[in-house]
Amino acid sequence: MKLGIGARITAVFGLGALVLSVLLGGISYFTVRHFLLAGRESAAQQQAFSNASNVRTSLEGGDTNYVFLLGQVDAGTGAHSVLYHRSKAYVSSLSVNASSIPAQLRKEVLAGTPATQTYRNAAGQEEIAVGLPVPSVHAAYFEVFDLSDLDHTMSVLGLTLFVAGAVTTLLGLALGRFASRRLLRPLSDVTSAAGAIAGGELDTRLDVEAADPDLVGLTLSFNAMVDQLQERIEREARFNSDVSHELRSPLTTLSAAVGVLEIDRDRLPERSQRALQLLSDDLQRFQRMVSDLLEMSRADAGSVDIFFEEVNVSELVQRSVETGIGHMDGRRHGTPEVVVDPQVEGWRVGVDKRRFERVLVNLMENADHYGGGVTTIAVGPGPVLEPAPGRSGRLVEVSVDDAGPGIDPAERAKVFERFYRGSASGRRGTGTGTGLGLALVAEHMHVMHGDVRVESSPDGGARFVLSLPVLSNGDGEGDGDGDVDGERDELVNEKEVDA
Amino acid sequence: MSGRILVVEDDERIRSSMRLALEGEGYEVKDAASGEEGLDLFAEAPTDVALIDLMLPGMDGFECCRALRRSSAVPIIIVTARADTHDVVAGLEAGADDYVTKPFVAKELAARIRALLRRARPAEEEPGALTFGDLQLLPEQGVLRRLNGEEVHCTRTEFRLLCELAASPNKVLSREQLLDRVWGYDYFGDGRLVDVHIRRLRTKVEADPAVPQHILTVRGMGYKLVP
Repeated sequence: MKLGIGARITAVFGLGALVLSVLLGGISYFTVRHFLLAGRESAAQQQAFSNASNVRTSLEGGDTNYVFLLGQVDAGTGAHSVLYHRSKAYVSSLSVNASSIPAQLRKEVLAGTPATQTYRNAAGQEEIAVGLPVPSVHAAYFEVFDLSDLDHTMSVLGLTLFVAGAVTTLLGLALGRFASRRLLRPLSDVTSAAGAIAGGELDTRLDVEAADPDLVGLTLSFNAMVDQLQERIEREARFNSDVSHELRSPLTTLSAAVGVLEIDRDRLPERSQRALQLLSDDLQRFQRMVSDLLEMSRADAGSVDIFFEEVNVSELVQRSVETGIGHMDGRRHGTPEVVVDPQVEGWRVGVDKRRFERVLVNLMENADHYGGGVTTIAVGPGPVLEPAPGRSGRLVEVSVDDAGPGIDPAERAKVFERFYRGSASGRRGTGTGTGLGLALVAEHMHVMHGDVRVESSPDGGARFVLSLPVLSNGDGEGDGDGDVDGERDELVNEKEVDA
Repeated sequence: MSGRILVVEDDERIRSSMRLALEGEGYEVKDAASGEEGLDLFAEAPTDVALIDLMLPGMDGFECCRALRRSSAVPIIIVTARADTHDVVAGLEAGADDYVTKPFVAKELAARIRALLRRARPAEEEPGALTFGDLQLLPEQGVLRRLNGEEVHCTRTEFRLLCELAASPNKVLSREQLLDRVWGYDYFGDGRLVDVHIRRLRTKVEADPAVPQHILTVRGMGYKLVP
């Protein structure tokens, strides 16, 4: 898994704090321990030396009451003594015996060298043993000091250091998180600016004045990039509008001239009439093509202005089909039947009526060209979404079924691509389509906040389903039925008409 | 049907073809290659309809519309390259009555002109005189005036629209109904025509056009006139 930069910075800070606290804690622990131990050792040596001296005095005096002697020496010190005298060992307490003295130490001391050793006894407790040879009386004096209090001190210190280390590490992580947030904040500005630009707000720029001094370079080059992008888009839009004007002018002339010829059509010889028919049909097709291409390039440039009107959906579909039939080109397979689910009666949608009509015309033409004609057009309720402000959360669906062989599931997503002809490409010769029809359907539906998909109809043909958000479920009042009583107080000011 | 039409279009070939097509429909055509020339021609001999291209060299189509509108109530059709731009609304606000987009079909243009000419003549069924606010509408005389006798000038389309609203006071008329009755459009007519004309009408009829008292919008439904 790849970690994000924020997580990595946090981890580095945490790790740094951990290493630092382990290092500091370790050094403190071992230094303290070293000094404490050294102090205890020298104290032990001093005490042992003084005790050994007492023992020597007593032994020199011939006192061999070892138990009493050792008891006297030990009294109140918490230490235990072991005395070797004439190859026999005497102990001051039951808690020690001759084997308590580490073998190495015993050997060294018995050989005549004073020595000190720190070790853990059989019970795991730390002890310090000091051995002093007393050659004058052929004895060796050992004293064992308990270091468990030191052990306790050290474990408290260790725990304290551990807790401090853990806290430091957590603080390091928190600092890292804060720092990474801080560091990434300018990037989130860039992200939101880029998002706004991608969303079409080309005037968005980063504020150079407010930028972090270290990021001025990024800010400047980001703004320069957007400037260039905007210039290119505007140049493209200008080019499109120039092309639009240049192409439309000759088309207008052609169309008007053909119109003149058509007025006099009956007076033309039959061959010329047929030629005129071809001319006028293909002129119409050419006009459609040019307007489709321009529509598409405008959508690409993000310069689509749309005029929304709130209309009754079933009336919209019925009118679009009636009028659309007249706007279709090529062959025809009869007028399709429109079936309206009673549930959607009165539902209103916000659309650009002429765009919607184009959508239905394109779908009907597609059905004629590739699907053997439209069988049914149905209007019904769609799935229910979460309601949002200004939206009822309901969708209305318009499905267009054809009598063709259906569309292979693998091809379904592709049919909305431009110039995609798929398995129907072999039939191009008769087609009058521009290859943009379905792509425009998708485009138009998206600008109207709707969607389109294709599935198969129960009869095996293709079913194109348009879905649109419902503005209101209405109360049965259609706006085209007239004579709606005006006593409603739902009056608002004029809405912006070119929204 | 006959009538005289002024065509202002800078492209010579389009101008010639429009002349041919419109003469074929029985109109008498005067054409001009620039806005200035068009205004001169109109001043010499007013026509029944003016057809103005928005993209003109020198004085542009909007300016030409405004200049023409200052002196005359002649029906104006603007010719625009695109329907879905601000141009249409701007042209309508400059005083145009209707628009066609290039490339237009000659038959469609002829139909638009017919609708405007029909409307420019007195309608058959007119509502009786109606008084609202301090205004008096006299449909049969084609006059809108204030109660103090001062005449309010409006174009024929504005007047026709007002008459349709006045024919059924307090009833909501949808955009589609108004488009059909005033402009002769079907269901797919451009609702912006109605909206802009209503806005223009309000500036003449309402005391405060931003807070209309007589010509009211019923959201999602249409418009109604409240005397």
